[in-house]
Amino acid sequence: MSDTKFTRRTFLKVSAGTTAAAAAAPRLLQAMENELGGKDVNPVTLAERKAIPINCHVCNIQDGAIAFVENGRVVKLEGNPEHVSTRGRLCAKGNSGMWYSYDPDRILYPLKRVGARGEGKWKRITWDEALAEVAKKLDAALKEDPNTIMMKYGRNRTGGTLDRFMKTLGSATVVNHTSVCESSKKIGMEPTWGPDIETPDFANTKYVLNIGSNILEAAYFHNPLSQRITEGRVDNQMKIVTFDVRLSNTAGFSDEWIPVFPGTDGAVALALGHVILREDLQDSEFINTWTNVTVDELKAHYKDFTPEWAAKISGVPAATIERIAREFALAKPATLFTYRGPAKHLYGSYNEKACMMLPIMTGNIETRGGYCLPRGMGWPQPGPTPPGAKHASYLSTPPDYPLAGHKVSHLVPFWIAEGKQKINVYFTYQDNAVYTNPGAQAVWGKLFRDEKLLPYIVSMSSHMGEETALADIILPDCPYLERWEPESMPNSLWPWLGIRQPVHASLGESRENRILLRDLVHKLDPDGKRGMKQYWNFKDAEDYMRQHFDNVPGLKEAGGLDFLKKHGVWPIYGKLDPKTGKVTDKTGREIKAEYGLHKKELGTADMAGAVVDKSGVISKNGKAIGIKRNGRNYAGFPTGNRLINVRVDEWAQYGFNPMPTFKRIPWHETMKEDEMILTTFKLNVHKQSRTAAVKWLAEIAHSNPAWINAQTAKRLGVKTGDLVRVESKVGHLVTKAYVTEGIQPKVIAIATAFGHWEYGRLASLRLKDKPAFGGQEDPDLNNVWWDDKGVHPNAIIPVVADPIGGSQGWMDTVVKVTRAGPNDKYGDIQGNWEKHVEAYKETMRYAYTGDMHRKMHPEMASWAGPASVKPKSGGGGH
Amino acid sequence: MLNDLLLDDRPEPVPARADPAPSPEELRHECVARAGLCRLLAGAFVEEPSLEFLATLRSPATLAALAEAGVRFGDDFLVPDADALVEALACEFTTMFVASGGFPPVESVRLTGRYHQAPHFDLKELYRRAGFVVRKGRFQVLEDHLGVELLFVAELLDRSVMALDRGDMAGYRAIDRDIRRFWTLHLARWVRGYCRLVQRASEHSFYREMARFLAAFAEEELVAMRLRVDDLDQGREVVPKSEVQVAFNPDEPVCNACGPGDRPAMPPGAIPIAVQPGTR
Repeated sequence: MSDTKFTRRTFLKVSAGTTAAAAAAPRLLQAMENELGGKDVNPVTLAERKAIPINCHVCNIQDGAIAFVENGRVVKLEGNPEHVSTRGRLCAKGNSGMWYSYDPDRILYPLKRVGARGEGKWKRITWDEALAEVAKKLDAALKEDPNTIMMKYGRNRTGGTLDRFMKTLGSATVVNHTSVCESSKKIGMEPTWGPDIETPDFANTKYVLNIGSNILEAAYFHNPLSQRITEGRVDNQMKIVTFDVRLSNTAGFSDEWIPVFPGTDGAVALALGHVILREDLQDSEFINTWTNVTVDELKAHYKDFTPEWAAKISGVPAATIERIAREFALAKPATLFTYRGPAKHLYGSYNEKACMMLPIMTGNIETRGGYCLPRGMGWPQPGPTPPGAKHASYLSTPPDYPLAGHKVSHLVPFWIAEGKQKINVYFTYQDNAVYTNPGAQAVWGKLFRDEKLLPYIVSMSSHMGEETALADIILPDCPYLERWEPESMPNSLWPWLGIRQPVHASLGESRENRILLRDLVHKLDPDGKRGMKQYWNFKDAEDYMRQHFDNVPGLKEAGGLDFLKKHGVWPIYGKLDPKTGKVTDKTGREIKAEYGLHKKELGTADMAGAVVDKSGVISKNGKAIGIKRNGRNYAGFPTGNRLINVRVDEWAQYGFNPMPTFKRIPWHETMKEDEMILTTFKLNVHKQSRTAAVKWLAEIAHSNPAWINAQTAKRLGVKTGDLVRVESKVGHLVTKAYVTEGIQPKVIAIATAFGHWEYGRLASLRLKDKPAFGGQEDPDLNNVWWDDKGVHPNAIIPVVADPIGGSQGWMDTVVKVTRAGPNDKYGDIQGNWEKHVEAYKETMRYAYTGDMHRKMHPEMASWAGPASVKPKSGGGGH
Repeated sequence: MLNDLLLDDRPEPVPARADPAPSPEELRHECVARAGLCRLLAGAFVEEPSLEFLATLRSPATLAALAEAGVRFGDDFLVPDADALVEALACEFTTMFVASGGFPPVESVRLTGRYHQAPHFDLKELYRRAGFVVRKGRFQVLEDHLGVELLFVAELLDRSVMALDRGDMAGYRAIDRDIRRFWTLHLARWVRGYCRLVQRASEHSFYREMARFLAAFAEEELVAMRLRVDDLDQGREVVPKSEVQVAFNPDEPVCNACGPGDRPAMPPGAIPIAVQPGTR
């Protein structure tokens, strides 16, 4: 017998001493999903299932996916291993996407309202009847003014179809949803360096500053960036520091979670910059070469943004700011990522700008492991293209927000109510403002119910969302697995083009958007005499896609649309290595990304006929195409002067500080001791509005108790599960508490995507209310074991508009939280229209035309006021 | 309802009976009658009733025939003018069968909770093999829609008639087997329970009565075809076992010994179907 003594200590010792041998031992097991990626078989018959590549569209990351089809139906969705960004992986949402198509609450036929708006009484009508009715309304509206026809869209990935339709009609009243999404992030970035988003090279970095993003669960670009951030952590031992009000799963994954008072991320970022500049840790060469300011200017500007100043505002200790600043500046390469945390505030654009200054001043721009420009690809529009509107729309380009290039959609109800612009016909597409916007049912619900303000509402939707339920007519759109769409998303360092293609015929009589709009135009202009039909001459949706893709250089040679139909994406950069999960070249090495896009040198052909001005800007045909630096002609950055504009002169024209700055939210400064800030967040299995009806996802997450810090809860006398009343200046709600250490003590956080009152029986749990009417008799719904659908907070969130970026200040709401009283019951929600109107008027005071603008900008005392600015039409798009 | 539960509880298949064979003429007569009923019922459920369909239904002769079978519409069906009735029924149809939150008469939905599941594709293939394709009426309906399933049975019954007319008894028997198989694999698995849901949920006597009629027709067809199939539709009423009263000896085979005119007693409330007596 052996006399070896195996104790735990012995085990650990042996293990430590045999690491190399263990590493050399053969590894016979590996992740099956990668090995089998791209193929699937029926588990009983072993027959291979038909694989149709698509781009996912449950949310907006646009993951490469494959729909496995058996006997005509989708039985499984999986990642497309040929897709360079998502590399064969698909998130829980993407795996569940087929339940949009097969949802028994899906709308399959045109429906016409027969009761009062919202009463739920409908009559099925034929497409011919529906199109004739809508065409008649359009005809009348066109005679009055094309701009009285409004299109508001949410997730629009039609590739230009909606725009084509509105231009065909000659209406400029096109409003998106971006102001409730991330518009101030975009406006913080666009005038500075061109694009509206960054691509952090997480996989190759040494240090990540993650400010207000929950990238492992949500945000752009959840799936591809989650993969890279994990690689960076595992393969590159990077450090990640997360500033967030809440201990999200990303914060939990980080080396450090630093809770920060809402809306003060910008102050922390400026203080980090202050330390970097004070200690001369900046990349002077980069600043002097590639920005429109000098190091000295920057140092002078940052002088007052001290860590002590930021600490008082944000609650982040000055010593922590000092340390993080040094770590970030000295760890090369380092990168930064932000999302809603900094941007969704009154001055979100300033916050975003302050954050992006950190990689700029440290020269981590367009470097391996750094903060890179997004890589995307475009495609041509089928010709001929319509000319567009003859005059601007107030709602689309509100004059009080000239810099808000992504519009200010959440103020639209108030502007319509004030009579700023008349609307005769309102189209809604993939939008649900009655649920998703601030004020929700109290604001948008009121607008939608008012037939004087919105005489005719057309919803193009596959599902009965809160907004569609208030429509006059519903034109059934197809869910994403049944439609054609062009796609490209800058969700990794490798650009790509992709498609969505129908994996089977659309169910019932649903029609994809471009087809139903074509049919509508043909109804309006049957003989082409009105000049509309010429823009809608395509045989079918596939024909339209061919016009997009068959002449894209490179793709054309590969086969154009036929290539995309087969692979879903182009180009195919390499092969997915099942062992590493990375895309590799023929030698087995990971394909290399291209860095330094701004340093691409212009060729002789580019320079032919170009002129170089004294600042080095290279122009051709009146457009800046590059920048001359150190004797070389570079492409530079995609801005008007090909530089990074640390100083945005256009902002100064409207009395805004053109340099990186921070503005504290005035009503946060005057908060009482017992007041808190309400913030919202997303879980990994839901998006804002459209996933609550998806069976698998609803089962995983269906309720949203409010996160409250343990200290705060103790003060309130509240424990997990207790009811709390949350009261803002525009309303109140009653929900359950979730007591945790993982949240800033002055914050209460409620997840969105819950508490639906429409969107089908699963989302609204109406099956529990009316068992006699079909609900419980559905075999799937009969399995619904939960009876808590959550509470939707938006009705008590007042509008706040960033006067620069136009973004909604989702995280600015001051609330009073108390234990629920005897008359409060779970799910109570009350929002008051009049109080929301007051909030609207209050936020307008911060616009450049408002009285608070000057007070908030004493440093811009020399600005000559709103009258000094030439009115700008067409918004502030960059 | 109660009968369903009792039927469901019986474990053994019913042995084939040894009835005297009906004559081809009797069989033909019955097939024609059954096909007509299938079409009538399909007309009620496959899409919103048209002016013409309702005019025919409201004719005294039809109402009298239906009344004989126990179908008695209320004033909401009998009184309104034709256009108003068309409109009212179109709205009721949409609320129950089309709009979000309703309960589409679609086998995939009723049995799996989802559109376009196995029944849909099985039926599409079955129709194809039988030489049929579902064409668009006023609306494009799904292959596993109740109305389409009933129309398919009607078509098969027409083929039975044709086989009988040309004296092809083997062909007739083959089609008869197909009809039984179709009921066993499809209609019988959901239509009775679904009809109970319609009866409970509808606010219009037209749909309540037509659903009651359809449920009774289905019961009768199953008995006549000597089929015992569990209705899996969740719309069937759930009666606790303790409340089930056994009205006859469950150990005694129901159909294998009964001859013409010797069928088991109808459960209370069941509707006799106007088929020719003594044809089975």
